[in-house]
Amino acid sequence: MSHRTTPAPAAAPGKTDGTMRRGAAGRRLRSGLTAVAAVAGLSVLAACSGVTYAETQVPTPPTTAATSKPPATPVTCDNATQSYDPLPSIPASASITDAAMKRIITKGYVTVGVSADTYLFGARNPLDGRIEGFDIDIAKAVAMSIFGDPNKVQLRVITAADRIPLLENRSVDMVVRNMSMTCDRWQDIAFSAEYYRSGQTVLVAKPAGATKVDTTLQQLKGKKVCAPTGTSSLDKLRSVSGPIAVTAPNHTGCLVLFQQGDADAITGDDTVLAGLAAQDPYTIVSSAPLITAEPYGIGLNKNDRYFASYVNTVLAQVKSDGEWKTIYNRWLAQPLGPAPTPPKPVYGRR
Amino acid sequence: MTSAPTTNLPVAIAAGQRSPDQPLPPNTIAGSLSGIPGARTVANRLLHGTPGRMRLFGLLAVVSALVLGAVSVTALLSSQNAVERAANNTAQVVLAQSLHVDLLRADAIATNAFLVGGLEPPASRQAYEGAMASVARGIAQGSAAQPADAEALGLLSTQVQQYAALVEQARTNNRSGLPLGAQYLKQASAGLRADAIPTVTAVVSANEERAQAEFDRSNSSLQLAFGVLALIALLAVAVWLARRTHRYVNISLTAGIVLLLVGLVVASVTIGSISQATKQVATGTYQRAVALADVRTYANDARANESLTLIARGSGKANQDAWTNANDQVVKILGDNDGLKYLQVQWSAYAQSHAAIRTLDDGGNWDKAVAEATKGGSGSASAQFTAFDTSVTQARDEAAGSAVRQLQSLGGSAPWFAFAIGLATLVACWLVIRGIGKRIEEYR
Repeated sequence: MSHRTTPAPAAAPGKTDGTMRRGAAGRRLRSGLTAVAAVAGLSVLAACSGVTYAETQVPTPPTTAATSKPPATPVTCDNATQSYDPLPSIPASASITDAAMKRIITKGYVTVGVSADTYLFGARNPLDGRIEGFDIDIAKAVAMSIFGDPNKVQLRVITAADRIPLLENRSVDMVVRNMSMTCDRWQDIAFSAEYYRSGQTVLVAKPAGATKVDTTLQQLKGKKVCAPTGTSSLDKLRSVSGPIAVTAPNHTGCLVLFQQGDADAITGDDTVLAGLAAQDPYTIVSSAPLITAEPYGIGLNKNDRYFASYVNTVLAQVKSDGEWKTIYNRWLAQPLGPAPTPPKPVYGRR
Repeated sequence: MTSAPTTNLPVAIAAGQRSPDQPLPPNTIAGSLSGIPGARTVANRLLHGTPGRMRLFGLLAVVSALVLGAVSVTALLSSQNAVERAANNTAQVVLAQSLHVDLLRADAIATNAFLVGGLEPPASRQAYEGAMASVARGIAQGSAAQPADAEALGLLSTQVQQYAALVEQARTNNRSGLPLGAQYLKQASAGLRADAIPTVTAVVSANEERAQAEFDRSNSSLQLAFGVLALIALLAVAVWLARRTHRYVNISLTAGIVLLLVGLVVASVTIGSISQATKQVATGTYQRAVALADVRTYANDARANESLTLIARGSGKANQDAWTNANDQVVKILGDNDGLKYLQVQWSAYAQSHAAIRTLDDGGNWDKAVAEATKGGSGSASAQFTAFDTSVTQARDEAAGSAVRQLQSLGGSAPWFAFAIGLATLVACWLVIRGIGKRIEEYR
């Protein structure tokens, strides 16, 4: 068999014919061209698509720690509402020698820790930006007595959980923020005499057409019930087995959770819940008997006994001269009916 | 089958001859020689002896020339592409930072409107809507410009929608005179800072990293090292050929090699100048644009925290701390960069007004503090802040625009150089083939 060849170009070396060789060179050049074009094309491709970026990583939000903390073992006593004796009469501010009160008088205003979102008790009026309500008027009555001007108050908006620490470090002179007098709290702070009597109940979604519901905490088994952190309502909620406790910084925060479907019910004092119900027509406050009695007192620094006596004198005067009823009717008559008799003060704490 | 020739002498074999009864064999392709009868003989014949080695080395020379040319072209193009991507990434950084600022601005406006009380002024509502619209546009533009950001910006879009929904609920309740509105606003603000801001921050830093990576990639000189290897191979072939044939001047081959060398030098010089200029942009206008955008973000964060401190009404220590922190950053960055004295002056004017507001609030004069913080007119905190924000935005736009323009202009000539080098490579290949072909011819 003779030599087999691939067609013409490869055979070129065997030929002496010049044209043939040039043809071969031409072919090679052409294939070279193709190769260059291919390489160039590939390199352009590589340059264009060579860089792919990793997907932008977004930070994962930290998971909030479980909020269920066992309730502190309650301190028991039988005189939670007992405060210090009032002064015989209200002294002229200039004649007061007590250091704590002198400090306030020199400062020129009394710093009061209040709520800005407890409708009817202490809430910011969105229309004029002022904080107003039952608690605010009580605070103003104290300022009126000290300075002769109800507006000599610096309202400091605080959360329920802030109340005791801020009193302890004297960031506020007093707290008028629907604060229940409890044996626990007497360990850390002082209270004035009782100025309002409330009680804990629940707020639930209003069944269509209903005008009255009797839901109790015990009945809300497996339901998410909201209470603000640092409140006695939350302690009570946690002591009841059945409902799942969820928390918010304040009662209005609970209503936001409720409206967003993250809470099925809210527990708190009937007056506070009335304020919430007034903001959402799809809710109703249970008419079941109150779970607890919540006596509201003005929170004071533990060492300010003279100031407590002074405030008690003011409260006694406000209750006796009809001012208390006026304040009550101004804020609470509409949702809760006309003013009852003011709560009776208990004195004699040593 | 006949055995392959074993002599070193060139053997003339008539080409194209085959027995008429045999079918045409398939064309051989590299690596398949052994499978095709007769192909081996052809390969042997072609590659045997000195001409065979010349052919082999000629092939090596052509491949080296191609590699050399391709490397020059690729390095040039990849350098140019890196600069182009750096420009795009820079634009994306600026866009993401604008998103951050617009979100903070929207929040500051909404918060301030609540602070004043009563119905929000139409002007502030308009400003809020303008900021939110700009956020929505920015998210769409950002995901179109950088697909790697699409996922994160999609998440941001969801978070912004949640924020906007909460603000609307806050407005509705506010209009009904219910304190619930303020609570919704608080939740909106907190959610924005907890979710949306970290997302947008992640997008900003991802793009800063990308821009930086491209600045580094714009210097593709390393690729040219392969070109040098190919050049050495070419030279080796030329030397071998010269020694073998004892003919030292091969004009075609030399011309081819010189042409390729010129291409390599042109590529390396072009790349060097691109990377030099890119480095200047990276440490110059780009760095300045990022710094100014940071200033603007911190400034707007400070302004939002001023309102939040007042809204907290005595319990805003955390917000005032945030203001102080943002202020420190603004002062530091402005001090670190040259030519920003006028911004320092404007900022300290605002910072003084802020201090006055704090003095009023801390002194128990909340109402006056709010009035100071929200009033308009010349000399007010609000006017001073707006003046600063406008100046810093203008300065940032100038720096960012100039960075992007500079980068875009840098690589402009590179494709032409690449094209020219590609052509030169082809010519060089032809010269190499011609040069070696001539020697093969002479050998015979």
